[in-house]
Amino acid sequence: MGRKIPLPMLILAIVGFFYMLVPIAVVVLAGLTAGDFLTFPPKGLSFRWVIAFLKSDSYLSAFFFSFKLALMTMIVSTILGTAAALFLSRSRFFGRNAMRAFFLSPVVLPGVVIGFALFAFYISTDIGLTRTIWGLWIGHILYSTPYVIGTVGAALASYDVSLDEAARSLGASPWRTFRKVTFPNISQGIQAGSIFAFIVSFGQFEVSLFLSAPNSEPLPIAMYNSLRYKFDPSAAAAGIFAIMLVTASVLLTNRLVNIGKLLDRK
Amino acid sequence: MTIRKPTHTRRSVLKRSLALGATAAIPSTFFINHAWAQDTSYDGEVFDAGGATINIGEWGGGWEEFVRKGLVDQFEKDFNCRVNWDSSFPWFPKFVTQGAQNPVYDICNWNLPNLMQTNAAGDYFLSADEVKANVPNAADCWDFAFASGAGVTWAYQPYVYAYRTDRGDPVSNFRDFWASRFANKRGTYGTENGLMHAFFMATAQEFGKDQYDMDAAFQALEEAMPMKISEFTFNMLSMLERGEVDVAVHIEGEALSLKRKGAPVDVWQWDSHPILTQTKTISRYSDPMQKKLAFALMNRTLEPSFLNAFGDEFLWRPTNSKAAITAPLAEEGVENTAAATEAFWVPDWNFFVENKQDITERLNGIFGL
Amino acid sequence: MNASQSQVTQPSARYQRHTKLLLVIPLTIFFIGFFVVPVGLLFASSFNPQVIGQVAVTSDLTLDNYIRFFSRSNYLMAAGRSVLLATIVSVVTLIIAYPMAFVIAKTENAARNTFLLILVLAAMQLDMVIRIYGMMVILGDNGLINQMLVALGLTSPDAPIQFMYNFLGVVLGLVQFSMPFMILTLVGVIRGINPSLEEAARSLGATPRRTFTRVTLPASMPGILSGSLLVFALSISSYIVPALMGGFRVGVLPIHIFQQVAEGARFQFGATIAVILFLISAGAVAVYLKLGARNSGGLA
Repeated sequence: MGRKIPLPMLILAIVGFFYMLVPIAVVVLAGLTAGDFLTFPPKGLSFRWVIAFLKSDSYLSAFFFSFKLALMTMIVSTILGTAAALFLSRSRFFGRNAMRAFFLSPVVLPGVVIGFALFAFYISTDIGLTRTIWGLWIGHILYSTPYVIGTVGAALASYDVSLDEAARSLGASPWRTFRKVTFPNISQGIQAGSIFAFIVSFGQFEVSLFLSAPNSEPLPIAMYNSLRYKFDPSAAAAGIFAIMLVTASVLLTNRLVNIGKLLDRK
Repeated sequence: MTIRKPTHTRRSVLKRSLALGATAAIPSTFFINHAWAQDTSYDGEVFDAGGATINIGEWGGGWEEFVRKGLVDQFEKDFNCRVNWDSSFPWFPKFVTQGAQNPVYDICNWNLPNLMQTNAAGDYFLSADEVKANVPNAADCWDFAFASGAGVTWAYQPYVYAYRTDRGDPVSNFRDFWASRFANKRGTYGTENGLMHAFFMATAQEFGKDQYDMDAAFQALEEAMPMKISEFTFNMLSMLERGEVDVAVHIEGEALSLKRKGAPVDVWQWDSHPILTQTKTISRYSDPMQKKLAFALMNRTLEPSFLNAFGDEFLWRPTNSKAAITAPLAEEGVENTAAATEAFWVPDWNFFVENKQDITERLNGIFGL
Repeated sequence: MNASQSQVTQPSARYQRHTKLLLVIPLTIFFIGFFVVPVGLLFASSFNPQVIGQVAVTSDLTLDNYIRFFSRSNYLMAAGRSVLLATIVSVVTLIIAYPMAFVIAKTENAARNTFLLILVLAAMQLDMVIRIYGMMVILGDNGLINQMLVALGLTSPDAPIQFMYNFLGVVLGLVQFSMPFMILTLVGVIRGINPSLEEAARSLGATPRRTFTRVTLPASMPGILSGSLLVFALSISSYIVPALMGGFRVGVLPIHIFQQVAEGARFQFGATIAVILFLISAGAVAVYLKLGARNSGGLA
């Protein structure tokens, strides 16, 4: 049988996980403090700040607004991005690389540039998107779609196209081929891409600075605002809640998508 | 943004939605027939706004939650209106992008430096006198509340050094910041932060002839390097709490709240007594109903009952002479009397704004940005 | 199913090409309307004279803003720093994240696999403004690492190793921030590698290490390039990590852009810096894609 994962790789991975997770763990623990201010190690453990977060109107509504927006962004980005990635990987034409770079370009620009460019654009064209949720949504889609294209594109690149060709030669239509052959095999990539889109939108700060609509404060801005005037662990508590939600979502999605089945590639 | 030649004839044909990226300074004579030119006045009474919407720009998060509960929710009910709250600071680029004739907010909450920057860029706000004439409670405010000339300050905090009490003698002098024991353990803010602006002016005043002596300030700040530069006050407090810095530029109430929670921290107020303000402006070219609502909201904000509750929550001092100082501050000897407030200094922000680009670039250079 | 039957059901090549275009047209239109035009206008304004608060693009053309940028060393250094930072971060992130992605991809146990994924997503989820607190607790002058070094007698309390408030701090922060992105990009690709390739290699007698270097690693190239490109883009455009981890000492282009646009309303000059950042990034993207084309036989 032999070890599947070489030892040096395993060691590096453990170090990596440590580096990735320890700052998060610090924040989580600090947010669970029973004390009155943000400190580490925490002075006793308690859920009081998480509860305070849940009871706080503004924080909770900011959370749900960001969640809703991220979900909307994820859906649109995934559909548009996957379609574009499919096109890019299945076509051969001269400007293909340029087109791929073009679709990736929003990410190379700082959020403030995109946010401000859109803001000024909405104002000067007066198309009624200024400081509306739709205008904000557009900015988020712009920012999230490149991630979907990147991950789905990578999955498609390592995908064995002869599988598709075999299905087609057996008489399957393009759509059927996609549904029954391509999609199951690249679904990991699509899943990763849509998660990216969600998380990127959820945590988006700079783009939202200029495009935000009144009475709809995204969570990162709410957190930043709260940090301006009170030195307490509520921002950490918000982070804890977000992590709990992500965990719950993944567990739920697993039930629906059944990762085990996808792992079963004998 | 549209590509066009900057002529005036086109502009005079435009209606209310003038937001075609108008440049900042537009002569108001072009709009003499518009409703804005009518005088709106307010006498302090409750009125029915008929469901009108008013746009406000003010900090969000916990601040918004408190102000909504303590002021805005009741305001919406009493005046039959709806408040559109926008909390994504910065306001300045939004104001200038939409232009003075199409104010992005009817009433906006600022710290002074950004307010003055916007005020210098165009005819955005009613003057302090115009506001005073329409906001009855403003008559009870101390004079320095009107120092900006473009809005009314409703709360303030003095600038302090927040310092750790377990690292040697207490701080008792503005120049203690430069003491060698604090090398690389002193904290201040990035060039775009209002606290840094005030620190700059105070440093000029201390080390130079007066607050206008920029060269003296640059020199002193160079000598203060290495310093730890933070982005915002929360981060600074956590740095102080962690011992990353031992002395930091800060504001009284927020730093005191850390002390009250048990951290080994104390504050020392600068002897030049500059203050960080919360100042509200009312936009000159808002529609009459919005303007009237803005006056009413301003009036409510200056109500002693609200200021007292706000002070209790966030430890800010009120500018209304009839409001009380919250207990935690009163314990430290803070008073709301003419004598006590006399010493407060509002730096010349107009001067700062005029020189802002140079100051920013030189400070960036000193910090190593 | 014989050959003539499949010929009947296959649509014409031109029809296929046209339906394929349908895949990409919606996004193209969206991008042109909401990306090319707004950002293009912003870029165009970089050729206008600097007027505070002016947003409209005029036909008043000048190169003053560009001259200003190129004549001041701090802006030139910022450009160089941005590229250096992004390159270093993408390389370091790749080295650390690949093993993690490999482990996740190769974990057969579904529960363990889900657990690891949750860890990655949780790390991604935590907002930067509060994550900085965690970084400071560990990396600060008075942080856990420095405290440990003092306790071990390796450094004195007065001379901590500066992991933060400098270029190193920004690298550490950006790597920590980018890791989940790289991991998730790679997991999909590594999992997608046809297992029969690796099985074939091993049945021919290759050690796990050889299988990895000869089969798995080359086959994961599309993911490596895609992930590196993504991390490069993230790093070069990041404002918040250099601002918070750099102690205002690490001048990168996004910080300058933010100062000009958000704080100073000097939109023309801010646009100039944005143009230059965009050109630099476009150059880097071109390099990556060239490498990508060569490495995956034109499939990437």
